[in-house]
Amino acid sequence: MSIALFVPCYVDQLYPHVAIAALHVLEQLGEIVHVPAGAVCCGQPSCSAGFERMGEPALNSFARTFSAYDHTVVVSGSCALHVRTHAPHLGAEGRQVAERTAEFCSFLHDVVGLDRVATLNATLNRRVGIHIGCHGLRGLGLASPSERQIDPFNKVRALLETVRGMRFAAPTRPDECCGFGGSFAVAEPAVSAKMGRDRLRDYSNADAELIVTTDVSCLMHLQGIARRDSVSLPMVHVAQVLAGCAESAT
Amino acid sequence: MTARDAMLAAIRAARPEAVPRPDVRAAVAAFPAIVDLGGAFRAAAEAAAARVISGRRADAAALIASSFSGGGRHVSALDDTTVGSTRQLPHSFDDVELFVCEAELGVAENGAVWLPLSRLRHRSAVVLAQHVMVLLDRSRIVGNMHDAYTIIDVARDAFGAFVAGPSKTADIEQALVIGAHGPKSLTILMLD
Amino acid sequence: MTTAGRRVLPVLDDTPVDHAAAAAAFNADEARVDWHDTALWFMREKRDHAVDLVAEWEDLRELASRIKEHTLSRLDDYLVEFETAATANGVHVHWARDAEEHNRIVHRILEERSVRFLVKSKSMLTEECGLNAYLEQRGLDVVDTDLGERIVQLRHEHPSHIVMPASHLTKEEIGETFAEHLGTPVGGSDPDMLTAAARVHLREKFLAAHAALTGVNFALAETGGVVVCTNEGNADLGMALAPVHIASMGIEKLIPGVVELPVFLRMLARSATGQRVTVYTSHIHRPLPGQELHFVIVDNGRSAQLARPDFWRSLKCIRCGACINTCPVYRRSGGYSYSATIPGPIGSILSPGIDLAKYSTLPFASTLCGSCTAVCPVKIDLDTQLYRWRQIAMDAGLSSRQKRVGARVGALFLTSRPALMFAGRVLRMMQRLLPRAAMRRLSGAWGQDRDLPVPPRESFSAWYQSRRHSGGPHDRA
Repeated sequence: MSIALFVPCYVDQLYPHVAIAALHVLEQLGEIVHVPAGAVCCGQPSCSAGFERMGEPALNSFARTFSAYDHTVVVSGSCALHVRTHAPHLGAEGRQVAERTAEFCSFLHDVVGLDRVATLNATLNRRVGIHIGCHGLRGLGLASPSERQIDPFNKVRALLETVRGMRFAAPTRPDECCGFGGSFAVAEPAVSAKMGRDRLRDYSNADAELIVTTDVSCLMHLQGIARRDSVSLPMVHVAQVLAGCAESAT
Repeated sequence: MTARDAMLAAIRAARPEAVPRPDVRAAVAAFPAIVDLGGAFRAAAEAAAARVISGRRADAAALIASSFSGGGRHVSALDDTTVGSTRQLPHSFDDVELFVCEAELGVAENGAVWLPLSRLRHRSAVVLAQHVMVLLDRSRIVGNMHDAYTIIDVARDAFGAFVAGPSKTADIEQALVIGAHGPKSLTILMLD
Repeated sequence: MTTAGRRVLPVLDDTPVDHAAAAAAFNADEARVDWHDTALWFMREKRDHAVDLVAEWEDLRELASRIKEHTLSRLDDYLVEFETAATANGVHVHWARDAEEHNRIVHRILEERSVRFLVKSKSMLTEECGLNAYLEQRGLDVVDTDLGERIVQLRHEHPSHIVMPASHLTKEEIGETFAEHLGTPVGGSDPDMLTAAARVHLREKFLAAHAALTGVNFALAETGGVVVCTNEGNADLGMALAPVHIASMGIEKLIPGVVELPVFLRMLARSATGQRVTVYTSHIHRPLPGQELHFVIVDNGRSAQLARPDFWRSLKCIRCGACINTCPVYRRSGGYSYSATIPGPIGSILSPGIDLAKYSTLPFASTLCGSCTAVCPVKIDLDTQLYRWRQIAMDAGLSSRQKRVGARVGALFLTSRPALMFAGRVLRMMQRLLPRAAMRRLSGAWGQDRDLPVPPRESFSAWYQSRRHSGGPHDRA
């Protein structure tokens, strides 16, 4: 099966080590990963700001770029959800790409499988708070949302349970939004920052030593607040933990 | 064109494609059933701040007397001498300390009792009285609200209410206060 | 905790609502935000505990959703069935196209019977229609009898939440109001004491009322009856004592019949407050001898919403408030920041349909986290509707020029790799060269409360490119 990696715009420019870790993880698992240059952005920022038509060229470019691959792995829950929701409206090619697009953690859990992920032999002796971005959580089904009356499951936790030495901290609000929300972060900065501060405090009070997240957007937001408020709570992406480079991350 | 015609026309023009009416009976038949109806009812009623006393039907009068120690005017829907004529003004029950009636059925999932007007005799007494006592035959406790509605005939009486516990509010800083603005207590005599 | 500081007040005219500004003002008092947020989260937790005990909860949601969609898809037929049955029961049925007509009808009913004093139980519809002010201007005395509504009425305020109207007030503030109006001890704030005083005060009103007006939770087409749910018994006290009972209902309150009713009753209170059922679930079918019963059926924009393919499902709403309680933005901005009859997520998809220009910022008062959609007992696709209203608002040109230009520029950078690479290099360079304080200022709204990320040495693209040139295994297509 041919696998392509899509690195969202802000990850490419500001958090390259997350994308590098994701690439390493997939390669360590024996996969050959293509990183086509054609797509820069999935178009979500424009769409979430209310300018769907402005975001269409980006989505079109994404569909064209990735149409050749069996799987497109996206290092972002928000981007993966956007593609899966909106690419079908582009037509047959869009529908196909949408079906074959998966967020990084869900790809590892559902396609690669936990047994193979365990062969990474990752180790991290830390008490971690898992933060699943809302779009990945409720939109892509990465875990059972606390609102629903369904059998509990958590794909991200299952992945991290393959990491030796890992322990888990439970915040009081299991899956409250961190407050990033795309354009919301700058359109409603007061509430956005307040939500982030509250989330950080919840993890701190749960004695988390590290936050592990599925979405770099959440990470960027929470880390920005932590730095501004001098809160010492490191944050990494799941890929960095599995690639064994979480220790060195700030 | 009347408002009625205009509104109906607007709705007819606006309404989406027909969605079939789901088969509620079939769906609820698959729901899990409560096993210990009496026990579940008691737990749910107490969770709603009702007081539940068990006893035998033969001892009902004695139980009523012993379960309420307050004086004042008692009115019982079961007793023609106290409940009076139906021509009484609803306001005439303003000074009632205790109102007693019998429920048509009870619902185990939420501790509610069904009180149609025919059982209440008067509509106002059950909310004006300071305290309310309800007799409930244990054999008339059903599992959930679906079960209840298959038995009762809501349109038979001009008025009917499910009542679960005494009146209450949490409008002041979510602090639960019992006795706002209806009765301050609800006692259920669960009778065999 | 201070109660002083700039109070967020709702905007009562046509002025566009700036939710972000109101939310920022609300956040000036962080302790108060924490108090409000904690109180509302507590309601979400109570809801969760109640739902956990219902194994068939998700089945109920699906059933309720389908029942409401079915009913809305044949709403005119059901309304006629309802009217026929109600009329046969001796009920006077009235139809009101809009708020003004509703108010006129209610006023006429009261005038004709020389009613000077009306008690009212909770009805968001009458709030929407501005009924109280309309009647008071015409010399009537109106008392809201739900405790939370009475509190805000005495304060000349509006409800900030559809289920807990006074949840924006502390007990001390309520104590001040009662000391002023009910003669309770100054400085007293014990909820038991205050409620007991309200009980006495309201009892007088119930006994003296010439008419009672209630809302409707569910209207049964099959039987022509209405169902009213309360915890306080205030609707029942009103209805039982007054010779005239008027029940105002939106057209969307209809459900087909008795077999459908328990589906909703099992979910309403659990979703709203975590109770298994409200204390009183009253079924009103016929007036008692000597009594009059009136139903006023109101459109006021609902048929227009029904006509909108993307938004008609918002009419499934049973007004439980669960979406409001779970919304992390509502909890941290308060009901008044929406300046709408109904705040929170459901309000943000109903209000733009009523006045897009006024409410265009509401769909943006959200991170689209999806929690509202997940708690909704009737499975309204709230987050999808919020997203769709954003598109409509921007298509209507309701964005600032700055936002539109910013979006266009952003879209350009995000479709061209060279442009993105360039922008990234510039940003990283600025971060390295400029002092932190300057970056903070330049980063605008982001930089108010957040630092920018530590600039990496190079982008992933650059790293990947150099790896490939140094003999890395993979192509870039």
